[in-house]
Amino acid sequence: MTVDPEVLFVANQPRLFRYFLRAVGQIETARDLTQDVFLRVSRTTVPQAPDGEVRAWLFRIARNLALDHHRRHQRQPLPVALAMDAGRPPSQEVDAAVNAALASLPDLDRDVFLMREMAGLGYDEIARACDLTPDAVRSRIHRARLHLRSQLAAPIATRRTIPMRHSGREP
Amino acid sequence: MNDTHEVISAFLDDEPFDANALAAALSDPEGRAQLIDLLALRHVMQPGRDAMAAMQPKKSSGLRAVLAAAAMVVALVGGYALGQRQSESGQAEAPPATRVVDAPAAWQQSPPGGLR
Repeated sequence: MTVDPEVLFVANQPRLFRYFLRAVGQIETARDLTQDVFLRVSRTTVPQAPDGEVRAWLFRIARNLALDHHRRHQRQPLPVALAMDAGRPPSQEVDAAVNAALASLPDLDRDVFLMREMAGLGYDEIARACDLTPDAVRSRIHRARLHLRSQLAAPIATRRTIPMRHSGREP
Repeated sequence: MNDTHEVISAFLDDEPFDANALAAALSDPEGRAQLIDLLALRHVMQPGRDAMAAMQPKKSSGLRAVLAAAAMVVALVGGYALGQRQSESGQAEAPPATRVVDAPAAWQQSPPGGLR
């Protein structure tokens, strides 16, 4: 049974967009890169494998596109503006701080962290996408989190005063 | 950085973890603070609804208009073709009257231009 690239793309579009949104920091660019993934997928044969492996393959493509984008723009600092809900954190200042903190991470740590935090991939999937072991993924994610924790101490302290959910979604 | 607390990340990410290692990590005040901070970090990282709403290309409203126009053209052409076919088969002629009303004897033709 062959995998329809369009079905695969539609199922993963929100994950890809969220990943790109934080990886490049611009809504328009994130949207374009998400479309670029679809173009690449539609030009090739989707591997016949379990969902997790196919998703890892998809995110390997996404990561390469993000890295190409960064190379083309010579690793300029991530832009400030991301449209956020008015009147609730993260505010635009927080958003700028988040992007700056992400930019200060090593590429691989940032990608591994974003694949988990923004795209919701499992450690096995991230390991396949980035040629790492699941243990290495766990270490890198935790290291990235500790780095971001120190960089974003103020917004984190503010966020601690608001009710939270385990998933990170708003209550 | 405290690598012994990696288990907290595994717990947060719903990945397999060693319960004893988690208990040990959470017995440390720094481990507990880490757990709460990393949860807060997760919230801080989330993009707003506006950003997610921007995922759909703006072209979609244009695409919708094109589709609506195409549907209208199909309906017009279809209606025209159907009308043509019916007129060719003579079905467009008026049906025969079901009742004929006879004019009364005092019936008079009105002059051209109507009544004055």
